Amino acid sequence: MTTTLDAPTVHTGPAARPVPAKPRRWTKKLTRAVHASAAVVLFAALWELVPRFVLDESTRTFLPPLSEDLQALWGLVLDGQLAEHLLASIGRSAAGFAIAVAAAVPLGLLIGWYRPVARFLQPLLELARNTAALALLPVFTLLLGIGELSKVSLVVYACVWPVLLNTIAGVHTVDPLLVKAARSLGLSSPRLFRKVILPSAVPTVFTGIRMAASYSILVLVAAEMVGAKAGLGYLINTTQVNFQIPRMYAGIIAVSVLGVLVNQGFVALERRFSTWRPKEKA
Amino acid sequence: MTTKIGIRSVTKTFGALTALDDVSLDIADGTFLSLVGPSGSGKSTLLDLLGGLATPTSGEVLIDGEPVRGPGLDRGVVFQQYALFPWRTARANVEFGLEGGRLGKRQRAERAREYLSLVGLSGFEDRYPHELSGGMKQRVAIARSLAYDPAVLLMDEPFAALDAQTREQLQDELLRIWRRTGKTIVFVTHGIDEAVYLGQQVAVLTSRPGRLKAVVDVDLGDRTGDVRSDPAFGRQRHRLWELLHDEVRKAAEHERSAVG
Repeated sequence: MTTTLDAPTVHTGPAARPVPAKPRRWTKKLTRAVHASAAVVLFAALWELVPRFVLDESTRTFLPPLSEDLQALWGLVLDGQLAEHLLASIGRSAAGFAIAVAAAVPLGLLIGWYRPVARFLQPLLELARNTAALALLPVFTLLLGIGELSKVSLVVYACVWPVLLNTIAGVHTVDPLLVKAARSLGLSSPRLFRKVILPSAVPTVFTGIRMAASYSILVLVAAEMVGAKAGLGYLINTTQVNFQIPRMYAGIIAVSVLGVLVNQGFVALERRFSTWRPKEKA
Repeated sequence: MTTKIGIRSVTKTFGALTALDDVSLDIADGTFLSLVGPSGSGKSTLLDLLGGLATPTSGEVLIDGEPVRGPGLDRGVVFQQYALFPWRTARANVEFGLEGGRLGKRQRAERAREYLSLVGLSGFEDRYPHELSGGMKQRVAIARSLAYDPAVLLMDEPFAALDAQTREQLQDELLRIWRRTGKTIVFVTHGIDEAVYLGQQVAVLTSRPGRLKAVVDVDLGDRTGDVRSDPAFGRQRHRLWELLHDEVRKAAEHERSAVG
């Protein structure tokens, strides 16, 4: 592991002598990358080696080495199944997420702006947020059937709370001094809201949106295990039932990669929208 | 000399607490008035009343003979903690008070540039507040308050959070800007030196409840050179110190009894 990662340094060393700053920065980046991925690489290595050399034959069937799972994943890519299930899942997640954000942000701003309303609703909101969405899956299925509607509704339910609560918090945590400064300039309430409260709430709201994006995938995959005909959750469930164990793991890997990508995407977006904040980490 | 700000028998109470008790004071147009008093003497409350951010319990505050009815762009307020909008660049912060006014987008940008240059911040237009030092932030805040050209500038301990050197520098710049623009300035401070150095007049408030104890005229000539070492400065300073000393002691006793 270390040898392959050190190799570029050795290679660029002599060639880069006229401009020594750049390769040094390169090695720094590389070392940081090694540090950041070390745990994941180690985990992958264990996943590969333990089933291969430690586990007995029968257990190995249930936990095949990583390379076999990745081969199965590649197979799913080639025969188009991955794309099919991935699109089905993303479609539901995105729909539920979008509906939740579109509803919860304006609602949160309204609730946050009228403090008595916020105080009145807060306990109920806390209760709702702490009710695991999946606990309500049977209720959704009872009321809305086992089709798309109940799945998307469940995603909406799971996504609404983080967005709503963060939006309310964002409106509440605006610096009172900024409000005072804006009022001293004679700003009317609607303009105060638009020019001070809204922009100052944006980062907090966005954190809620990012959390919701993660939830939308987490919740959906579980919902898809019950009465679905497509989707990553369905894929994982059917492959398990049909004893296609490497394919099952392939589905799990796909889910976690999707989750990480979505989260990273939103983190990047968040950074772009809050350039005015001091950097937490250089 | 015309009266710019008229404070007529103003009393302000918060529940059982009387912050200001029957304060009357006329401030002439173009005056630089320092306002001093021990902590809890209602200095900031008085400034809020002048800014229209609060209303007196009784009495009235007049600007150009008209009673104050809320905040307005005829008065600018500068706060101790800068109160800059962190999501706006220096230029956009200065433009804040101009938005919704008569100026177009380009004129606003031009005006902002002009006032940032007046406070010595040319070249920093596109910086965000978190990229500026404390002194620079306060310069931006001053530029923001000056940009919409209020006749009155209300300053609430604006330099208290700055280091000594930056403070002196900004004091000199404020005097320069005051001379150039002829604005009426009410400057709240708890520093006697600062009050004497800046103010043509110094108003002294008593400890709680805040009453007007005295208004002292400060005569230091044209304030060139090292004014602070001038014997006249020392005399003025001492007079104020005596006026304040009793009040500070009373305030401290009051606090002790409140705690004990």
